[in-house]
Amino acid sequence: MRRYSATYFVGQSLKGLWKNGVMTFASILVLLSCLVVMGSFSALVVNINQNMENLGVVNKIVTFIDAEKTEEEISAIYQTVTSFPGVSSVEYISKPQALEEEKAKLAESGYANLVDSLNEENNPYRASFTITYTSDASLADLQYKLEQVEGIDRVKCYADLAETVNSVKNGIAFVLSWFMITLFVVSIFVIINTIKLAVYARRNEITVMRYIGATGSFITIPFIIEGIIIGLVASVGAFFVQKGMYLYIFRLFGTDYGIIRVIPFADLSTPLLAAFLVLGVVTGIVGSCISLRKYLKA
Amino acid sequence: MIELKNVTKVYPNGTVALDGVNLRIRDGEFVFVVGASGAGKTTLMKLLLREETPTEGDIFVDEYDLGKLTEKKVPYYRRKLGVVFQDFRLFPNKTVFENVAFAMRVIGEPGKMIRRKVPTILNVVGLQDKVRSYPKELSGGEQQRVALARALANNPGIIIADEPTGNIDPKMSLEIMNLLIKIHNYGKTVIVVTHEKGLVDYFKQRVVTIRDGKIVEDKIGGMFSNAQV
Repeated sequence: MRRYSATYFVGQSLKGLWKNGVMTFASILVLLSCLVVMGSFSALVVNINQNMENLGVVNKIVTFIDAEKTEEEISAIYQTVTSFPGVSSVEYISKPQALEEEKAKLAESGYANLVDSLNEENNPYRASFTITYTSDASLADLQYKLEQVEGIDRVKCYADLAETVNSVKNGIAFVLSWFMITLFVVSIFVIINTIKLAVYARRNEITVMRYIGATGSFITIPFIIEGIIIGLVASVGAFFVQKGMYLYIFRLFGTDYGIIRVIPFADLSTPLLAAFLVLGVVTGIVGSCISLRKYLKA
Repeated sequence: MIELKNVTKVYPNGTVALDGVNLRIRDGEFVFVVGASGAGKTTLMKLLLREETPTEGDIFVDEYDLGKLTEKKVPYYRRKLGVVFQDFRLFPNKTVFENVAFAMRVIGEPGKMIRRKVPTILNVVGLQDKVRSYPKELSGGEQQRVALARALANNPGIIIADEPTGNIDPKMSLEIMNLLIKIHNYGKTVIVVTHEKGLVDYFKQRVVTIRDGKIVEDKIGGMFSNAQV
């Protein structure tokens, strides 16, 4: 099978982008903005989710157990709690474990000295169950049932906080989703126009190409590469803008607000870059293909 | 072999461009297609180039049934044809060599082959000294010769020339026609659509006359002056 030259296709694409410089720049800028909005939104959601997870407010109830209960009795309570409908998992944290976990947390924050004097004899912490419930569980029913269990001293539930944080998150998601969809549509339209201009500039060449037996793919590949280049440049640009913004906020507000912790950018960078590249390139290809539909015919 | 069997072409606006046309052109023939504007010559060319499909009837070009040709196969069919336009349609930013080479590049010919074949083709059309020239540096006749070289680049069996002398002076027109005759003598089928009465009469080839979408005369050694245009 005869092979076409990749350098020819890339060369034609770069020429096309250069000729329509203003439209190329506009396409890149709009797509970049769209990706930055999406990236900011994603970073915000990931941070909210992570903090909610850290705080144990996501579908979790903590029950404290009477200090006098024996291991057998605790095991029986465990069995009862596990059998309740809507309970997805139960994690038992013993008294010594609770103390160790608290020591570790405080040490991380630099306050290890506060609990240095505590040991097995004067351990004030109590054994507990961390119950994870399913999303469709009736929280009020479950909370009531747990309170009725003999040996459970206190039921701590963050449902209200979780609900509030979730509604704020959903509100932000709703507004940003619309903003993002609008920007994506605008991006596709701008890319369509950029490619159409490139096609128009080469219309005579395309006519001759068709008459001398060029296949649809030979004619369209340079324009699709143009879309891919726009997508790639916008993705990489968006990644660096996003990084700059995130690090600026990171520096401005710090990383730790007591119980709230901002995720370092390094932890987000790989998935963010991958998402930007996929979305940028796919948008570029979709935009090119829409503007080339009629040229795919003979 | 080109064969049109009872071909009718009606455009969506109701215009009947061709009406029950029957035509057979054997391999290696030279045919002038003449007729007044709007007679149906251009539609005939478009059908042969598979730019249009017939409303009724069948068109066969060698092993291809153009009515049944899938979109994907059209480019491969067109590689059997060499097309020359009245307005040359050369790429102004490409040299003579590059214009001819482009036709070969389009079908995926390797660079080594292109570098070997292009000078030979340019030699056939007498432009071996203009390899590095750009179209704007050439006369109309020379530009049409480049277009002819490009049409010959992929060694097609059929050359279709649509008013090839329409944009050049009479002396150059004669040269271009002589070149087409030379190409015909290499065994190619040549179809020339033209208005040039003098050339048709001078070369005394087969003349197919179209009027109102019908072939009204088809004579070997015919004369434009006698044709019922």
